[in-house]
Amino acid sequence: MKGRPLLYTSYEADQGLLNTTSKKVMLGLFLLVLVSIPFQVIPGLKFLGQGGWLRLLSTTAIFAIGALGLNILTGLAGQVSLGHAFFMGVGAYTAVWLGGPVDGPLLGLGLPIWIWLPAAGIVAALIGVAVGPTAVRVRGLYLAIVTLGLVFIGDYLFRNWASLTGGAQVGRDFPPLEFRWWKEESPVIDFTTPSTWFGVEVSGIAKTFFLLALLAGVYTLLAKNLQRTRVGRAFMSIRDRDIAAEIMGVNEFAYKLLAFGISSFYAGIAGALLASFLTRVIPEQWNLFLSVQFIAIILIGGAGTVTGALLGSAFVVLLPRIVQNFTLWLQSLALEGEGILGAIANVFIATSQTDFGLINTMAGVGPGLSVAQLNLVLYGLLIIGFLIFEPLGLFGIWLRIRNYWKGWPFTY
Amino acid sequence: MRRKPQWLVLLLVLGLILAACGDGGGGDTTTTAAAEEEPTTTAAPAEETTTSAAEEGAGDVATDVGVDLEAQTLTIGLLSDLSGPFAPLVQVIVAGQEMYWADVNANGGIGGLQVQIETRDTAYDPAQHVQLYEELKTQVVAFGHSTGSPQTMAINPQLQADGILAIPLTWYSGWSDPAINSNLVPHGVPYCIEAMNMIEYLTVQAPDATTIAIASSPGDYGEDSNAGAVLAAEALGLEVVYNGTGLINQADEATLTEVAGGIASSGAELVWVTTSPTPFGSIYGQALAAGFSGALWSGAGPTWNPALVAPDSPISEPLSNDFYISAYYAPWAAESEGNAAVRDLVTAAGADPLDYYAEGVIEATILHQALQTAYDAGDLTQAGVLAAAKSLESVTFGGLAPDETYVGEPNERVQRAQFISRPDPAGLADGTSTGSTLVESNYTSPTAEAFEFNEACFSLG
Repeated sequence: MKGRPLLYTSYEADQGLLNTTSKKVMLGLFLLVLVSIPFQVIPGLKFLGQGGWLRLLSTTAIFAIGALGLNILTGLAGQVSLGHAFFMGVGAYTAVWLGGPVDGPLLGLGLPIWIWLPAAGIVAALIGVAVGPTAVRVRGLYLAIVTLGLVFIGDYLFRNWASLTGGAQVGRDFPPLEFRWWKEESPVIDFTTPSTWFGVEVSGIAKTFFLLALLAGVYTLLAKNLQRTRVGRAFMSIRDRDIAAEIMGVNEFAYKLLAFGISSFYAGIAGALLASFLTRVIPEQWNLFLSVQFIAIILIGGAGTVTGALLGSAFVVLLPRIVQNFTLWLQSLALEGEGILGAIANVFIATSQTDFGLINTMAGVGPGLSVAQLNLVLYGLLIIGFLIFEPLGLFGIWLRIRNYWKGWPFTY
Repeated sequence: MRRKPQWLVLLLVLGLILAACGDGGGGDTTTTAAAEEEPTTTAAPAEETTTSAAEEGAGDVATDVGVDLEAQTLTIGLLSDLSGPFAPLVQVIVAGQEMYWADVNANGGIGGLQVQIETRDTAYDPAQHVQLYEELKTQVVAFGHSTGSPQTMAINPQLQADGILAIPLTWYSGWSDPAINSNLVPHGVPYCIEAMNMIEYLTVQAPDATTIAIASSPGDYGEDSNAGAVLAAEALGLEVVYNGTGLINQADEATLTEVAGGIASSGAELVWVTTSPTPFGSIYGQALAAGFSGALWSGAGPTWNPALVAPDSPISEPLSNDFYISAYYAPWAAESEGNAAVRDLVTAAGADPLDYYAEGVIEATILHQALQTAYDAGDLTQAGVLAAAKSLESVTFGGLAPDETYVGEPNERVQRAQFISRPDPAGLADGTSTGSTLVESNYTSPTAEAFEFNEACFSLG
């Protein structure tokens, strides 16, 4: 009986997070790879351990937390929200108010991370619940507009509340990722400077990466668990048919409010971590584009799935870097200009003012798209493409690969 | 019943992890030596060029990151806004840098080393700026420019930790502040001293003026500039009859109307507006429409754009009479040797005349001199280039820009000289100029001269 797919002999096994052996093995391998990345031991993945890539992976972890939050609201409860950036901003500024320096020119209480990080989530959640009653009265497009309004209110507030945010185009420094028990001089753990852990030399960015990956892991577990509870099922019933859900006794108002609260909590945590990770943030950071990025993560990754939120985050955060590297590679091919590859590359790349090409590598002067423009175009195409051809997103592709191997070597 | 032991185990594990990860309680356990060692050892495994490689390569030059003695290349980084709000300017500046270095390479490079440029688009976003800095710092020997004040501020702690040099592409007065500038070499007059220069120059043109209206965009740019404007007004006995500092928001037309109304109703004889060209044109036009005329106008360098006096611009004629252009370097058509060199470079590259190429050339000239000095001293490491830049007593640009110095007290080394031009719509129309004609070279006003500079005029916090 063992090893047969989809055959479970107990309810616990059926509902288990890792209900198959291959899932357990895969997760174990994934964690092993994750831990080893900064030490550059796996051939082929060594480049990921370099500073630039580790920073991208850390950003991915933060975006994953934010995306998990939006996934609960949009993917599970079916409520569209463009206001995610606003709640991230609320979290960030709560964090800096509590954790910022006391003696500086701006608001700050100098409290440690174990206070400012949870508080960032809680304050964002409270504000989410406070604006909830307005938001849950409407649905669909109207809800999108209401939440869009939040972003603009936030934008105005953040730009003008200079004593907290530092002011438009100026910004302020955020409390670093370091652990203190209270306000003591030197931190117990400093996640940004190199030191020795368990006898191994660990660089600052590697420590940051470990912390953020751990936090992302914890929030993933929480999100995954939420999905399997009464609350999660209530969310999904509202998403699938709100009237039917109410008839079954699901309190639509209360659950929508709860979804807003939980989603905002995640956003607040992600915002606080992002600001702390970036060290200096200007108020314009929390703009509509950030919200749209999260929508893109959910859509590209696969709405309503935890794995999708994670895959989508990695995709959206890493895509610009991959496009950039690809362009640089094409450019080097075009400049060397040998063989068929060089000729093909030359068609795509404009290398001088007079050379025709789709992509321009001369800092934007001359014909063609710049790399940044190319990124935006790709973004748009990918969102449209996924919506039309793969509504389940990257998760859907992953699912098909998984199902193929489930029955292997048979096709069904 | 089963719960308790589980929690105990968890707590114990957490405690152990805390103990293991702790930095040992002492304040300075991570020695600076270890911190400085990091970028050279772990960050760039691909580049095996350490001091040992230098011995077998050309000459006795110490190198760490960004110099490949075998391939005879030297790589510099540019953190540029190529898709954000300043993209139209920065694209030209980057092109100016590329032209300059291509010329250097054609003439033998830096001691035979060919200079390569790694340009990255930060989109004027501090987050991307930091990300791209981290990416480039393991590939380049120094940064040829870093666009934007909050952005440069965001990488500044890392620059200091890594010991890398950067040239800020912003004229914030803090870049000359000793508390901030250990890894930066600024150039050009800072916004706040620029305001002193220009406002005093306006009072020379209109000796009877007693009132001034000031307005600006928010952020370091507008605030720093208007901090200088307020100081200048005090020193010159001008009454500030309208103060719209930080009010101008390009995206919000209502703020432009408000500022224009404020300036018009103040009846000021002098107007100092520090913003970008589009909102400036709108404010000037609206004030004009409200019947406000006869005042002299000026604003910090980036406020001006020749398009304001293009043939199809409705404000071309009145603005040409009212406006004094502040500039960090001489305009395209100026007669100096440095300007001629820029014109040659741009023409050789087949590009159209634009003023901003000069900025790229100025930045590149400073870095060129730093690299050459470092090479001559036999130390082309990141730290060596930084030290070389900080030892430069005089960098000259052949009249294109005022000489720079990076040694001495902040009050002595801060740049106070600048250029002043007048709009030239006729020259723009027939292609003999880029829309402005030079009226003052290396101008420093007495107020700016007397100003005691010890720290930034406006704190970025």
